[in-house]
Parts: sequence; C-alpha cells; structure tokens
Amino acid sequence: MGKTVIMKIMERASGREVKVGERVWCGIDWSTARDFGGASCALQFDEITEGRGHVWNPDRIAFTFDLQAPSHSEKVSNNQKTIREFARRQGITRLFDVNHGIGQHVLLERGLVKPGDVILGTDSHMNLLGCVAAFATGVGSTDIAASWLSGTNWFRVPETMRVEVTGEFQRGVSMRDFLTMLVGGLGAGGMDFLSVEFTGDTIERSLLSERVTLCSMVTEMSGKIGLILPNGPVLDWLAERAGPEVRERAAAIAPDLDAPYTEVRRYDVSELEPMASCPDAPDNVRPVREVAGVPVDQVHIGSCTNGRFEDIAAAFEVLKLSGFKVSPGVRTIITPATREVMIQAARAGMIERFLEAGVVFTNPTCSLCTAEHYGALPSGDVGCSTTNRNFIGKVGKGSHTYLMSPMSAMAAAVRGVITDPRDIVCQGRD
Amino acid sequence: MSGILKGRAWVFGDDVDTDLIYHNKYLAETDPRNMPQYSFEYYPGKESFAREVKPGDFVVAGRNFGCGSSREHAVHCLKEAGVPVILAETCSRIYYRNAINNGYPVLFVKGISSAIRDGCIKDGDELEVELETGTIRDMTSGRSYHGDAVSDLEREIMSAGGLIPYLKSRRKEG
Repeated sequence: MGKTVIMKIMERASGREVKVGERVWCGIDWSTARDFGGASCALQFDEITEGRGHVWNPDRIAFTFDLQAPSHSEKVSNNQKTIREFARRQGITRLFDVNHGIGQHVLLERGLVKPGDVILGTDSHMNLLGCVAAFATGVGSTDIAASWLSGTNWFRVPETMRVEVTGEFQRGVSMRDFLTMLVGGLGAGGMDFLSVEFTGDTIERSLLSERVTLCSMVTEMSGKIGLILPNGPVLDWLAERAGPEVRERAAAIAPDLDAPYTEVRRYDVSELEPMASCPDAPDNVRPVREVAGVPVDQVHIGSCTNGRFEDIAAAFEVLKLSGFKVSPGVRTIITPATREVMIQAARAGMIERFLEAGVVFTNPTCSLCTAEHYGALPSGDVGCSTTNRNFIGKVGKGSHTYLMSPMSAMAAAVRGVITDPRDIVCQGRD
Repeated sequence: MSGILKGRAWVFGDDVDTDLIYHNKYLAETDPRNMPQYSFEYYPGKESFAREVKPGDFVVAGRNFGCGSSREHAVHCLKEAGVPVILAETCSRIYYRNAINNGYPVLFVKGISSAIRDGCIKDGDELEVELETGTIRDMTSGRSYHGDAVSDLEREIMSAGGLIPYLKSRRKEG
C-alpha cells in the first residue's frame, strides 16, 4: 500500500514507518506562539522548569504578534511584554512584533516554511501553511510548552480525503466561493480529523493567495490539514525565499499512486456562483444572490484567509468599477495580512484610492477575528466579512455576520446592501 | 479519577464552538483559575451557567464539541469550574488534544447527539458516570449510554495527569 502526503511527512518527522490511525511522536520544525496564547506558553514553560529551563532550540521557535497588534489594552500589552522578555532570556531572535502582521503569512514570506515541515502554533488556522505542503496545526499552550521542552509532540496519523477541483472560475467568482460552497456541503464536521489533499487543474493553476484561502478554511470543516504540493510559480516563489531545497522536499512527499484515500471528491467550478456563509455559522451557506438586498452596517476585508494582495486587488477592482466610492452608511475596513502586502498595495497606488473612497485602511493584524480589537460590531448590526468564522456573537453580542469573498464584500460596501458582485464586474460584458 | 461520579447535566447541541464556550473577548486572561466566570456567556439560553454550575456537574454535548479556535481557555474554564468530564458524541481535534494534555477526560458517547435533539436527555437530569467503563446512566430518564475510552497513548498521558507530567516522567525513566 502506498503513502499519502501526510504519511510521508510524519515518516520523515518521526523517523519510522507509520500506519493510519496510530499515534506517533514527531520532531517539530517550528513551534510558534502568538501574542494570544504566547504568554501562557511562556508562563507554563517557566513553571514547569522552575524558571531555570532552556528551550530545546531557540532557532526553531518564533513569536508573532498579530491578534491584537498593536495592543489595545494593558492586559494584552503585559502579555506581549511577558513574551518579549521570555524570548530575550531564551535567546529566541525571531520575534515578529506588532509591526509585522499575521503570523503564518509572515513565516511564509520570510522563507521559514518548507514542504514537509511539522509546525505548531497557537492559531487554529496555522494549517493554512498546508498551502506549501507543510503540516502545520493549531494547538493549545500546553502543547507548545511541551514541545519547547522536548522538540517533539504526539500526533494521530490521519486518514486522507482527496479533493479534485477542475474548471475555471467565472468572472466575479473566486476560490473563496468554492470553499464556502464546500463548507456548506460538507458541514462543520465534514473533514473531522482528516488530512485533505487538494489536486486538479484549478488547484495546479492557482495562486499562492488562493491556496492560502483554500487551506485555511479546512479548519471550518474540522480538518487536521489541507495540503497542496507546490508547483509552477508558487514553487518558484517559495524556492526564492526558502531556498532551492524546497523542490526536493516537495518531490519527496508527493503521494504514491496507490496511496490510501478514504474518499475522493470531484468538483467542477466553472458553473459556480458567489456564495455566502450566512449567520451564524460558516456552514450555513447560500448563494449571494439569494441574500442580496440585506442592508449592511460594516464590511471587513482581510484576515489570514483573505488578506493577501490579490484579495485586496480583487476588492479594488470592484471599487474601481463602482466609481471609487463606498456607501456612506457602511463602515468599510481593509486589513492587509502583512506589512509586505501593505507595501504592495501602497506601491500599486491602491491605498490612496481606498482612503479617498472612504475606506478605513488599517495596519496588518487579525483585527475582526476577535471582538476585542477594532471593528467590533454592536448588537443588531450586520457585517459582511472575508474572515473565516461567523459564530454567534463572535465579533459582538447580538450582531450577525455574512462571510464572503473580497469581491462580494466590496460589492456590499459600495451598494450598502448585500450584492452579487457579478452585478458590478460583469456590467457591459456578454 | 475512579468510582462513580454523580452530578447534574448541562445539555448543549452540535458544533458548540470555542467562542460559545469561552468568548474571544477574554483571551488575554492567562490564569486558569479566573476563567470559569466566562464559561458559556455567549451560549443562548446558557448565560447563567457560570453562576449556577456546581462542582460535579457534567457538560453533555452533541457532535464536534469545541470546534473553532485553539484556545485552551475553553478547557480550563470547565475544568476549573469542577466539571469532571465532558460527555460528547464527538469532540473537535484541537479541543480533544487540549483536554488530554491537561489530564481532563472527554468521553465520546455514541447516540448522545440524537438523544439531545429528541429531548431524551435534558438540563438538570441527574447522571451517574463511571469513567473506567464509560457507562453513563441518566437517573432521571432511566436511559443509559456508553462512552468510548481513549487510545493507549492518550490513556497514558491522562493517567500521568497531562502532557507535561507525562513528558517529565518519560525523561526520568529515559
């Protein structure tokens, strides 16, 4: 019997053959923590080692300040300070402070992530690093502290689902819409404990930003990891940043022809239309046109799922076709994933136009993934957002959020009501 | 933990996410002892949980309990409140890890999701739970359920008291 990608990753990391369903101890390539969770990890580590312990390898640990960057409260400021002091004491130099952006994206841009790596982080969307075939997973602070002690952790070798995607998106439709459709079809537990390999011509042609979107939303179906083997321009981009060995690393974990899949699902996206996750669950999915007309109070474009330059550029396109003006009744917030993305948007001349149009363009951060940073919604308000969760009260008690693509979100911002973006981007076309 | 545990049931549905268990508003808290006061604050109809839960009460839930964020707060807030075990049809991957790593038991209980939906198990039911065998008796309704025990590795971690004590004891042996 052949091996799937995740089996090959775990074999490399554990140094032995693995079987689906068994528990294995894997060596950790990166053990990371954010401003959220990071202080708990540091305090826990100090408690375990009575303040005298050394981490297993300071060069394999990174801190990323993203959830509340810059800090909005004394409590968060103190947590961030706890982390800075811990890093200094332990000789951990990779501390990406409040001026960097969302952790996984920063690690990726810095060339720190390679195919086949095993990565832990205090972020349930850590697994978006599957976009370059790394096995990254969100864990709690105990898992992180334990890995700092030993450089290892335990994992169950998961079953694998294969998802083959073919076809080209119509204008106004994007990878986010495919994902939303998938979450709606499979449900919140639809990928429970599974590793998922995404393949097919749509995936092979896709940009890094689209792969990020795809892999991040695996979490919303309770999957363990979504994996895409880097190829083409994505592999070139990665090799430039992380070194030429990523080509060999990617080839070494390619799935065998007779690899065991619990299920193979096939999708054709050529007839897909814009989709939305309606209040109050990511898997409560309907086509955008069916909820068109719902008045909107706030629009947010950003997050680890849809905060890359291409996402911002897609929103820019909709704004441009609408005469560079957002509806005065809608608070429109755009948050780039990282500083690099923000610089790209600045160089492309977009930020000035967004600001003139009435958009709040913020520093890179997770922003609206928590009610405890800027942009929290008051009770009764309706938001449209490109984030990945719209659980009950997530960004404010009594508020309701529709999750959608950057194009759909900007369409709502310019019209003031939920709008199928094809009404704007397909105007004057066949 | 052995013998028979007795307590009241607090009953929740499927896909209870971590924001409902412990809202993101309180993530800056790092001391587990301060976390119980926020438990289920955002769960419609269960806002009084934190005030009214008694040590020994059980959390009973459907499928995919604890989906969403990686926050360990969602385990601490129930453990520190004295809830001795989570009884759920299934539990999300990260929540399960966090529970095991803290030596906190979760039983996967077949059929509990539909029992909740059909009203066969309700808030306030008196339960008896035997962790060793996985037997759950609802003394109010007279029904019984069975919860699956965990794998060998998880059992070892659990009985060591969590991942950290487990690793420390392995180190000493090694």
